[in-house]
Amino acid sequence: MTLLRASIAILLPALLLVVGGTAAGAILTVRMSLHAPGAGAGLFEPGSVSLSSWASMGDAHHRGIVLTTILTGLGVSLLSTAIGALLAMLAAPFAGLRFMGVMVLILAPRLSGVLASLFGLQRLLPRGWIGSLIAETWLLVPYSTLILVIALRGIDPHLVPAARGLGASRWQVLRWIIWPLSLPAVALTLQLGWVWGFGAFLGPLFLGGPDQSTLAVEIHHEAFDLGRWPRAAAEGVVLMVLTASAMAAGSWRPRP
Amino acid sequence: MPVDGLRLEEISFHFDTAPTLAGVSLKVPAGAFVSILGPSGCGKTTLVKIVAGYLKPLAGRVLLHGTDITNAPPGKRNTGMVFQNLALFPHMSARGNVAFGLEARGLPSSEIRQRVEAMLDQVGLKPDERNRQPGNLSGGQQQRVALGRALVIQPSLLMLDEPLSNLDSHLRDQMRGLIRQVQRDTGVTTMMVTHDPEEAMAMSDLIAVMNQGTIVEVGTGRDLYQRPRSAFVARFLGLANIVDGSVIGHRPGSSLLVRPECLVINGEGVPFAGIGKVINSEFFGADVLVTVALGNIQMLVRGRPNIMPQPGTEVRVSAMPGTIHELPADGES
Repeated sequence: MTLLRASIAILLPALLLVVGGTAAGAILTVRMSLHAPGAGAGLFEPGSVSLSSWASMGDAHHRGIVLTTILTGLGVSLLSTAIGALLAMLAAPFAGLRFMGVMVLILAPRLSGVLASLFGLQRLLPRGWIGSLIAETWLLVPYSTLILVIALRGIDPHLVPAARGLGASRWQVLRWIIWPLSLPAVALTLQLGWVWGFGAFLGPLFLGGPDQSTLAVEIHHEAFDLGRWPRAAAEGVVLMVLTASAMAAGSWRPRP
Repeated sequence: MPVDGLRLEEISFHFDTAPTLAGVSLKVPAGAFVSILGPSGCGKTTLVKIVAGYLKPLAGRVLLHGTDITNAPPGKRNTGMVFQNLALFPHMSARGNVAFGLEARGLPSSEIRQRVEAMLDQVGLKPDERNRQPGNLSGGQQQRVALGRALVIQPSLLMLDEPLSNLDSHLRDQMRGLIRQVQRDTGVTTMMVTHDPEEAMAMSDLIAVMNQGTIVEVGTGRDLYQRPRSAFVARFLGLANIVDGSVIGHRPGSSLLVRPECLVINGEGVPFAGIGKVINSEFFGADVLVTVALGNIQMLVRGRPNIMPQPGTEVRVSAMPGTIHELPADGES
């Protein structure tokens, strides 16, 4: 019990910060979305209550943005997991300095700085949804790879020789041993991928076309270019609901 | 000429510069149970990995029932292996683990079901334990699954890499009997790696003692224990009194071996040998181990637990007739 209490005491400030910070942010965003837009330079009309910002959420423009956001989330999730899995399978068998070397190469996109990477990608890739999808995947792949490498290296190294010795082919080993044992990590990278992809901002900003805006880019545009904070907040609430739904769907497991 | 079950010809291997195996040769008759016995780092696990196909020898050949399998991949050798940590697939049930090798071979599901159940019966895993994953099985039950998984494919050679090292002594005795029984029932040629001489002697038809990458002696447990050809083997297989000397009429410069249980303290009807002083007595339940100083030589004597001479007392120590063995002069290692 003493250990449990000590653990709770250590974790409590972090828990309060995360829960409190998230809840406060969410409440403020919802509140902001219910204000009337401000006239002139004002961000919103203090004391006002209005659903005008919400009225536009169902129009064709916003439906397109939500669809692009969802497709980006799913695309980033699938691509980063698939590429991460391939890189993890390449890196996992190495040991010592070789492993460190391979991991430095895999983590290079994060080591070189986000903006430097994106400026580079801007020169290489066409502008549009595909470009922004590749850019976001490029940014996420190091994290997905790390998770999957850790999962693969956590598998008992005797299992593959045991399976091979029993006559299993490489494909059977992958399907019957590696895949099921790394499934929790694959589920985690998929979830990370779509949460990351739904919030995609830099990739669409640098490489996205004018008609392939995501919710995060649109929020930035409404708030900072047009000064319509209640509308940006309404879009923020839509993004929150979308992300929370995706996380809930990703956490669902069928009853055994 | 009968074909050997397993035949190793001049197997050599090294990891870095120092040789791990230096020209190891061994013949194991078909259906025999051989133990590779040796201290840690002597190369015994490397040898079993070469036989299983997980390592390729730098020189030499591995023949299984007359077929050269030196370059065959592990899955094409038709060998079964029980790993030291068992290496059971943690996400599969006991049944799934045992069925694995048969499924990999693409056998019909009805045949797989029948063979798996028969094998689980043979290794003594109860029906209500068969759908459990390894994490929900005890050490002994896991051992049974590992043995069943290795045997269900009807291997030409069964390999056991220190299979009992993680079990407590009671369970070890049980599993020792089970492994031997199943091996006799199936008649499979078996190679076990162990560092435990008692385990090797209790289970094996033949023991190959290894040291520093070579096989130093091969024989039955009884021969190696009672009539070893070197002091190393004598000491590795059990407590030994080795003193300089030779049998009258033999070449001088050799040593004499007498096991502690072949010496008697104050025995009647046994030829007199010498009087010494007790230095230490240790009680082990079934017997006592007494250290006696005979002049400047210390001798270990294993006796009955009801006779436990106190340190400082004078005792008469004698050897039972025919129990002194002369070690060859060039047998020291």
